[in-house]
Amino acid sequence: MKYEYTVETEDLAKYYTMGPAIIKALDGIDLRVIRGEYLSIMGPSGSGKTTLFNMIGGLDRPTRGKVYIDEVDISKLDAYELAWLRCRKIGYIFQTFNLIPVLTALENVMLPMIFAGVPREQRVKKATELLERVGLGDRLHHKPGELSGGQQQRVAIARALANDPSIVLADEPTANLDLKTGLDIINLLRELNREKGVTVIVATHDLKMIDVSDRIVYLRDGKVERIETRREIAIEIEEE
Amino acid sequence: MSSAPRMEIGKIYMPFGEAVRIALEDIRRRFVRAAITTASVVLGVAFMDALLILAAIARVLGGEGAGVQAYQLWILFISLLVCVVGIMNSMLIAVAERTREIGTWKCLGALDKHVLLLFLIEALLIGVIGGLLGWVIGLLVAVIYGTQVGMSTVMSALSTSSVTIAGLEFLPTAISTFVLSIVLAVFLSLVASLYPAYRAAKLNPAEALRYEV
Ligand SMILES: Nc1ncnc2c1ncn2[C@@H]1O[C@H](COP(=O)(O)OP(=O)(O)O)[C@@H](O)[C@H]1O
Ligand SMILES: [Mg+2]
Repeated sequence: MKYEYTVETEDLAKYYTMGPAIIKALDGIDLRVIRGEYLSIMGPSGSGKTTLFNMIGGLDRPTRGKVYIDEVDISKLDAYELAWLRCRKIGYIFQTFNLIPVLTALENVMLPMIFAGVPREQRVKKATELLERVGLGDRLHHKPGELSGGQQQRVAIARALANDPSIVLADEPTANLDLKTGLDIINLLRELNREKGVTVIVATHDLKMIDVSDRIVYLRDGKVERIETRREIAIEIEEE
Repeated sequence: MSSAPRMEIGKIYMPFGEAVRIALEDIRRRFVRAAITTASVVLGVAFMDALLILAAIARVLGGEGAGVQAYQLWILFISLLVCVVGIMNSMLIAVAERTREIGTWKCLGALDKHVLLLFLIEALLIGVIGGLLGWVIGLLVAVIYGTQVGMSTVMSALSTSSVTIAGLEFLPTAISTFVLSIVLAVFLSLVASLYPAYRAAKLNPAEALRYEV
């Protein structure tokens, strides 16, 4: 079987120098993410999850190694091309929601479409549809401050999908939510992953994420400790 | 043999109207911070206008020699300098407060120049508002002074020309100080915001997103 990879990393490394010390946030990551896959990156705090996202998301440059997005080596892209990649190919979801506080839910979702040059009417239509899809059809004109954490994260999910990206990167999306709300967000991400065929990569140490993931990458000290696919997980549980 | 695949990189847009709308919304929502920044502009401009109008009144009263004195120009210069430092300080704090937001903008596709544009439009709007308020306050000061020397004196000072700057010399004092106020306020606000806006635009998105408020 031949897979198509949305993301590939080759010997990816990111070192930070803190005075005399060198912190190896990532140290030789080889990863292939299949198109349409729901991949979880598990690892304790400080294991390099956010750093890996910054590299895959074109937010920072690696110390060593390569990142391919849709088979394009993104180290070869200039600032303009990277901004375009971030706008069109990747949707970002954060632990802290990161909505633009002065804009309404609808305006937040329309923002990436402004950058993409989508005409106003189409922007309104698409953003409304997306917000309805995530269950916020009655909150279009609310500002983030008037929404609960779970609702803000739903807006962020709608915004991440605004330009039909290839990849959604979610960095600990449930860390600031209660158990029930977190579960709803996880299930919503999973549903959208199936519906739209968008690749979803979620960094987490939330064990609820295991059930919905196609594969789980365990990260420790900037290295891939092991990778589990769903079938292996199922077998493990049976063996216990 | 196939060559390395290329992405079809398209254009990135930021319509000017949208940028203005967002900047206005920012000023409205962060009213306190914007008001502090504007206060700097207002004080500098009001001081200048009061000096100019009082000099015009003195001229109506005493004729020759009475104008803005050299030492007053120095004070004016210093006060405008303080005004610039005030705006810059306030803008730097605004940029720091919004570091994570700027990181988010860049995730959504904003280019450096879009971030720069947003901050400069805000500075422009603050300049216009501050210039307008400063002029009104300067005028009020002159009118209050006028209750001592007689309103008719003040009115004749305001309605005759006194400002000796090319292009403004034929305008009545009231109008020339108005034009001067707006132009100066916008100029000062833009100059003071250039460095903070540049800092904001150049933020590395990964660093900006890590920033703890
Ligand atoms: N900008 C930075 N400067 C210095 N050290 C950093 C920076 N970003 C991350 N690190 C360090 O790199 C390691 C991995 O961090 P991170 O990727 O944020 O981990 P995680 O998201 O899994 O908690 C940590 O030790 C962290 O302190
Ligand atoms: Mg992290």
